[in-house]
Amino acid sequence: MRAEEREKKVAIKQENIQPSGAESLLNRKVIEERDTTYRIVSKNVSEYHFIVPFDLSEEERVEVGQIFSIKDQGLTFLARAVNIEHSSNYDGHWDTTMKGTQFFDSDQIFNRVSAEPLGCINRKLEFKKSRTLPTKFAPVARAEREEFRFLSQVMGDIEVGYLRNGSRLVEEIQVALHSEVMDHHMGVFATTGMGKSNFMKVFAASCMRLAARGQSKFGLLIVDPHGEYLKGKGPVKGLTHLKRYREGLACYSTNRQNASDPGVEELAISESEIFPEDIALLYEWSPPQRDALEAVSRIFDPASWLEEIKSPEGMVRMMQEGFKDSTVNVLVRRIKNELERNPYIRKRSSLANILANLQKGKVVLVDIPRMSDRSELFLLSVISRYILDEYKKDEKEGGESRKNCLITIEEAQRVLGSGSNISRFESIAREGRKFGVGLCAITQQPKLIDKQLLSQFNTLVVMGLGDRNDRRQLEESAKQDLTSMDIEIQTLEKGEAVVSTLNIPFPVPARIHRYEDYLRRLDKEDKQESLIARGGFKPFLD
Amino acid sequence: MKIIHLSDSHLGFSSYSRLDEVGRNRIEEMVYSGFEQAIERIIELRPDAVVHAGDVFHHVRPKIKPLVVFQRGLLKLMEEDIPIIIISGNHDAPKSFSSTSPFRLFEDLRGVHIAHRYRYERFAAGDSYFHCIPFCLEPQDYLAEFEKIERQGRDVLVMHGLAESLANRKMRSVGEHELSDSFLKSDFDYIALGHFHGQAQLSRNAWYSGSVEYFNFGESQDRKGMLLVDLETGRAENVPVKPQYMVDHPPIDCSGMLSEEIGQCLLELCHEDEIRDKMVRITLKNVNRAAYRSIDQGRLNRLGASALYFKIRPLFLDEEEHFERSIDRRTLHEEFSGYMEEKSTQELIPAKTKDDVVAYGSEIMKKAVLARHKEALDAS
Repeated sequence: MRAEEREKKVAIKQENIQPSGAESLLNRKVIEERDTTYRIVSKNVSEYHFIVPFDLSEEERVEVGQIFSIKDQGLTFLARAVNIEHSSNYDGHWDTTMKGTQFFDSDQIFNRVSAEPLGCINRKLEFKKSRTLPTKFAPVARAEREEFRFLSQVMGDIEVGYLRNGSRLVEEIQVALHSEVMDHHMGVFATTGMGKSNFMKVFAASCMRLAARGQSKFGLLIVDPHGEYLKGKGPVKGLTHLKRYREGLACYSTNRQNASDPGVEELAISESEIFPEDIALLYEWSPPQRDALEAVSRIFDPASWLEEIKSPEGMVRMMQEGFKDSTVNVLVRRIKNELERNPYIRKRSSLANILANLQKGKVVLVDIPRMSDRSELFLLSVISRYILDEYKKDEKEGGESRKNCLITIEEAQRVLGSGSNISRFESIAREGRKFGVGLCAITQQPKLIDKQLLSQFNTLVVMGLGDRNDRRQLEESAKQDLTSMDIEIQTLEKGEAVVSTLNIPFPVPARIHRYEDYLRRLDKEDKQESLIARGGFKPFLD
Repeated sequence: MKIIHLSDSHLGFSSYSRLDEVGRNRIEEMVYSGFEQAIERIIELRPDAVVHAGDVFHHVRPKIKPLVVFQRGLLKLMEEDIPIIIISGNHDAPKSFSSTSPFRLFEDLRGVHIAHRYRYERFAAGDSYFHCIPFCLEPQDYLAEFEKIERQGRDVLVMHGLAESLANRKMRSVGEHELSDSFLKSDFDYIALGHFHGQAQLSRNAWYSGSVEYFNFGESQDRKGMLLVDLETGRAENVPVKPQYMVDHPPIDCSGMLSEEIGQCLLELCHEDEIRDKMVRITLKNVNRAAYRSIDQGRLNRLGASALYFKIRPLFLDEEEHFERSIDRRTLHEEFSGYMEEKSTQELIPAKTKDDVVAYGSEIMKKAVLARHKEALDAS
């Protein structure tokens, strides 16, 4: 709806702007009914103010987070409402006078909207940061799809939702992340129930679509401890339901039932791929036990240490190195326990397949339901170490055709926390980018994540954070300025998000697709394409 | 219950030009006799069933001789009451529904079960069920066929193709017939695989038996033979059929060597008795071209006369540069999309058109490459 088309009752008296004559400034003009445009009244380059009627109808109400456009001589400034306050042209305590209802002139009271400038669009439809401010009294209107058109040009290839203006959708404008920046790390932040899993599924589905079309630029690894991504639960669908682009997905599971699906490989890790530092993650160790564990790689052959240390000779060798028998016993007992508890540790290994699928740009889902917290970390640690090592090797050998990869970590505060002793993920966060390995940290509590690490995250998807400390932590380390969005982030509803990423000039409000709806849409889209993917056109074989 | 697992007989394969006294290709004859020896060995071992995991024939339209050899083998097994379960592989399955499979000739034989119709079939033998997925026309068909499997209690899976993990390790090219590792379920009593010519265990219960013969020098280090599998214990042991007859000598560094010295080296490696009826390859690296040329060619020819196949592969000093030049390893469709990407960034092609052309074109190229691979003459 355009400003001039609106039919609104407005009764604000304003100064009439007649730049030609100074005396005309003195003539007050009543803005006619149906003349609905708001106007910029102040304030400076970093904050615009405009006033709106205090009694707007439900539909027209201004909300924090809404984006407004200000047309000014061929330029269109965009600004986002960051706050709304009651205001008036009266001084003093006029509104608390107990004199009935007729004591004020309703023309003199209004709401004052403060908006933060996002930038401005020039005649060539290019978006630039704004170094000036719109002319005083330039008309303000709610931005509509025309003004957002330029955003379509800066969006990436991984669709996650639609643009949102306040709580309204702008369906024509898709919010899509850029594949190219995925090795620059990504963070997904939300309290429980705000739609993290839904977001991850939508994100994965878009990646699967790219992979199946052969356009993927990175592989996505998702380790799912809740067992919710593979097949979903009840009406909630899983990734395997996206049959259309199933080719873009490789699944591994420790669950017998899930692994009986012909498209799901039984997850297996071979003993030789486990290092003492992975075992270290599994328990709290006393200092002597930790020493013993650290000595293991020196004493035994790294490829067969798990086998050797369990044998009587191996224990003797440990004791010869000066470790107490009780220490060694604890160590060995715990190792044996762990091997028994994790039947996926076998002679065979899925890691090479996982790596190959990531390098092909597929989505790799490792489904590990009902696994303890520590076992999950252990597994994640083994897999991510393997991946980082192989990518490092590849970098040296100049592997050209391999794609980058993004490793997802659920509850990332466990491994990226400031007090965390798990340095593996830190090292991926710090140096992974050099080798094309990115992290996607999912957490409810960004405040627990190391600030320095957080500042390495170039893509943030924020989905409602009630805790002020969480928001502050994000605001302080984000690449784009989120401070002014504090109220908006606090008031985000389920499924709504603010997406801040490189290549898109300002943090964009979005409504993430509901995965089930997105599935339906993907299944229907573009029949021609399905003909290609399914080999309907076979000039050589027929 | 004990079974013999073999695969990749490639009957009809012929290579190199050595002929025997009556003008038959020596390698081709050797492959036939290898198959016959394998049948003899099976009869000695008396298994409860035999599984052939694909590529019985080297060609989709075999000549008469391989058909006869195969038929003779089957009849012998029939006489001994040993059932045999066979699937078609990428070499002996026609690539369209309109052609007739050579296996049609053998379908009605007693105790002979052949899956060759591009779809899942189940056969019972002894107390076990053999779930057979033969060569399928489209890669995605394997998944659909696999879904038809219903477990019966004692189950053996038989498939043909290169398992994903092996493909990753071997760095094979795209377009090869690849089997997802997700088919290797641990609850099968045994998984009999064919296509890969070296004997290899993929997981506790999944094996490639490998072929009996060597088909190229890339296989010189492979373990060859058949597997005797005890379905109760899951134990699989190698049953060699022929002694190792392929020798690929590690390269000899000839830098600074004169022709005499090179000749001497070769002589030492090629004692007539040691190379008799073997396939031998000797690689000479850093050879001076002139020195190599001045070796007596007649002498060189006589050197390998007793071998089944004999090859000296000289890598000349002046070729080094050529070898070191970086090679464009991209596949055809990758190169194509790279090119289109480049043109698109120069704004010569609109992005939408580029995406369409790349998606459509890559798919066609992948199919063409795959088709070419299927037709390839090598015995992979």
